[in-house]
Amino acid sequence: MEERTGRAPLYSQDPGSGPTASQSFNFYPMDLYDSEDRLNIFPEEKIRTREVAQEPKKGERAPELSSATQVEELARYYGLEEDKEFEGETEAGSALRSGISEYQSAPSLRSHNVPKRREDKDWQYLEEAADAEDDRFPGWGSRGQYQELREAYRYTRGRSSEDYECYVIPEEEDEEEAADIFCVTCKIPIRAFDNLFGEHKEHEVTQLNTAAENARDEIHKNMFKLEEQIIQMENFASHLEEVFITIEENFGRQEQNFELHYNEILETLAQKYEEKMQALGEKKREKLEALYGQLVSCGENLDTCKELMETIEEICHEEKVEFIKDAVTMADRLGEFLKTKTDAELSTHPDFEDQTIDFSDVEQLMDSINAIPAPCAPVINTQTPNSATGTSVKVCWSLFSDDTVESYQLSYKPVSDGAPTEEQKEFSVNVKESHYSVANLVPNTQYEFWVTASNSTGVSPPSERAVYVTAPSPPIIKSKEILSCEHAALVCWESGNMNPVDSYTIELSKVDNEDSGNVVTESIVGIPTCESLIQLQPGESYLVYVRAINVGGPSERSEPATIHTTGSYFHLNKDTSHPLLSISEDGFTVVRGKGEKSAREPLESDTRFTRCVAVMGSLIPIKGRHYWEVQVDEQMDYKVGVAFQDISRHGELGADSSSWCMSHTFTSSRHKYEFLHNGATPEIQITVPPKKIGILLDYDSYRLSFFNVDIAQHLYTFSYPLQHFVQPCFSLEKPGMLR
Amino acid sequence: MALKQISSNKCFEGFQKVYEHDSVELKCKMKFGIYLPPKAETGKCPVLYWLSGLTCTEQNFITKAGYHQAAAEYGLIVVAPDTSPRGCNIKGEDDSWDFGTGAGFYVNATEEPWKTNYRMYSYITDELPKLINANFPADPKKMSIFGHSMGGHGALICALKNPGKYKSVSAFSPICNPMLCPWGKKAFSGYLGSDQSKWEAYDATHLVKSYPDSQLDVLIDQGKDDQFLKDGQLLPDNFIAACAERKIPVVFRLQEGYDHNYYFITTFINDHIRHHAKYLNA
Repeated sequence: MEERTGRAPLYSQDPGSGPTASQSFNFYPMDLYDSEDRLNIFPEEKIRTREVAQEPKKGERAPELSSATQVEELARYYGLEEDKEFEGETEAGSALRSGISEYQSAPSLRSHNVPKRREDKDWQYLEEAADAEDDRFPGWGSRGQYQELREAYRYTRGRSSEDYECYVIPEEEDEEEAADIFCVTCKIPIRAFDNLFGEHKEHEVTQLNTAAENARDEIHKNMFKLEEQIIQMENFASHLEEVFITIEENFGRQEQNFELHYNEILETLAQKYEEKMQALGEKKREKLEALYGQLVSCGENLDTCKELMETIEEICHEEKVEFIKDAVTMADRLGEFLKTKTDAELSTHPDFEDQTIDFSDVEQLMDSINAIPAPCAPVINTQTPNSATGTSVKVCWSLFSDDTVESYQLSYKPVSDGAPTEEQKEFSVNVKESHYSVANLVPNTQYEFWVTASNSTGVSPPSERAVYVTAPSPPIIKSKEILSCEHAALVCWESGNMNPVDSYTIELSKVDNEDSGNVVTESIVGIPTCESLIQLQPGESYLVYVRAINVGGPSERSEPATIHTTGSYFHLNKDTSHPLLSISEDGFTVVRGKGEKSAREPLESDTRFTRCVAVMGSLIPIKGRHYWEVQVDEQMDYKVGVAFQDISRHGELGADSSSWCMSHTFTSSRHKYEFLHNGATPEIQITVPPKKIGILLDYDSYRLSFFNVDIAQHLYTFSYPLQHFVQPCFSLEKPGMLR
Repeated sequence: MALKQISSNKCFEGFQKVYEHDSVELKCKMKFGIYLPPKAETGKCPVLYWLSGLTCTEQNFITKAGYHQAAAEYGLIVVAPDTSPRGCNIKGEDDSWDFGTGAGFYVNATEEPWKTNYRMYSYITDELPKLINANFPADPKKMSIFGHSMGGHGALICALKNPGKYKSVSAFSPICNPMLCPWGKKAFSGYLGSDQSKWEAYDATHLVKSYPDSQLDVLIDQGKDDQFLKDGQLLPDNFIAACAERKIPVVFRLQEGYDHNYYFITTFINDHIRHHAKYLNA
């Protein structure tokens, strides 16, 4: 370290020490540059490019040195470069690397010298330096010398690469010598040398860096494509999943539905079976009982007959008297018995009655499985922003489930705001789709919508009610009240709507001479009030449109207003006008009628000028530059200028510190021009009476200048820092006209 | 036409230089001051000629007027020539301060012994511009002229006699009507002879009357406490009246409290530079 610091002064550009330095260290560059073998490796072209790259640097730093010192100087720069190259090159030979570490001393030295050298920079030495550079190869000493020196450096340096790092100024990224350019024709990296002499001679080549850069770009592009695809696939997969789940759900629901229905049918059938069986059993028992009864009575009859037969036989065996007696009795009994002749008919019809089983309700149930249930109430969507126009809204709704719907009925009515007595007519339309654009509505109005779905089975309950709003009516620009200057315009408009709207949007389009269509060049959105200050470019013409915005969307464009940003455009404020002044319809011309000034004391609150027959304009409230022109009559007495808004209405213009004006008085063919402020004026004579006075108000440079417009003559400039806004003022001291 | 640099000083990033050359018109060595604004290093600049007053050399303006900052800002080359030939060994040339050396009055003399050397009008309007345009980055199409006192007179006549040659003209306290003032009478009779009709060719007030309808914007500043104004040497009112009649646009500013000194010039020099820059940089 000691040696290094000690050496530093030798490199200072003190001309006295120059020769000494070159004596002692003229071999030093060898160390840095590694002469013979390295030189061969260096392709010629590369050296050339590097020279070009280095030249500005050399010019900057080349000190006033003897040529030998210059050589050192330059060599040192190259040494620095070598270091960097090798640092970046990992596969560099170790032999070379060992050399590199020694070179590292060069930047350290340089860092000591740079500040001093820079002091003496002079462009004149640029050429000299370049010349010296050409000589450097033969100028370097022998190999042995530099070997020695290398030893010395190795000892003193101490390999502190961090130290070295501190001094590295990234200057250029040279490639290593192995392959430094890219052969486009063969698509391989080659050495520049090859391009000049080898097989790649006359092939198209690019810098390896560029080639690598291109390849990297290509890969990056592909990677982007792949990434996009991945994202797409992922999206698709998640979509599929969703579909999967939906199908699962839907089918599950259907299964449930079927199960429910079939169970119902089975139950019904079982019930019917029970009923029928019971009925049959009862019938059977009834019939059997009846037949049994008949059988029993039949047997009884038989017994009675038999008894009668026996009795008759007995009688026949008796005596006659008794026989007769008994026979009579017997005959009565017989007669009686025979009267009660048995009923041999079957009391019960033995046939099975043809029982028709009624399946109608089952059928109905069966039907109900395949037939659709009446739909559920649809779900009405809330309004989609910007979907409405001034007279129509698009209403959308959807169904809860997979109800089959043949048609919907959409009903709506305006939302009544606090006027329940008001008759609100309801409207209905039948729609097939699940959306409908309702037209013929009133702009910027809330409507209540609800919808029912129906199919063959029935009608759903109505959906919830949703409130939709129609877009507002287009606003109306107050084109007569537009104020503008070179850089801005103040546009105001009427809402055009009864109800408040959310915001306004201004659209600007520049008007070209070629009339290339009105392309909206700029939009300003979210303006809450009915006026806006818009920034413009000077010297242009603009068309301005305004749209009103609410939830429903934007209105149609308003009628356009034209703004020219040449000069300032403003109006005369009638409220400030002296009673004797009248302002024309377009707001630009002031006329003073004939008449005496009234002596009446004005009211304090009066905003009108009283003493001075003047009127104030209303300039756009923007600092910056304003320019306007006033047409005057040569024969007329007038004052034009500016005044603070709160100027005393009872004073003369220019009489105090609140106004500045140019005053003209005309007496017996003499024009007198004054530039009044605080009641004083510079003495100025103007040979050509202006017919049109241009007034330039520049807040930035605190100037108020007056010009004769026709001959572009500067008349006078007030220089005064204007802290507040001023307004243009015009005053007529005699009857006449100002435009 | 070889130029010899006498001095060069950096000023507002430009250079104030003084050169000497052998004048063909005046047949003597002449010096002139030239300010090269920083813009002149990269491109051509308009040239503004300054004509000094009685007794002045090229030095007075460049050292006293303080115009450099404005000239640098507007990118104007400002050339300040001497006021008369020098060292011509003409008998009586150094006898008085208001005639001869330092009082060339910007006329081409017709009388002996002055007519050989005292050709300041041609020098200013012809030789000097050619010299400047050939040796400096000057835009030959853009030149203006201004001056003080006798130089104001010079500026006015140069502009009025060459419509269109100068884009604009301005003057500080100019001698507006030399035919009617003592200085002018002395100089004109000496250089031009006794025939007063010849004088008219060098009298601004007279020249205005025949000035064609060409655009010329004249700015004149006059100190109100100028002794020479009171002495009737300057007579601006005559000039203004003539301009008003011919509708030649003049803004004449009578500045309260100022006299004929360079302090007055320094005060308003920026207004004048701006006045010229408006036309030269248009």
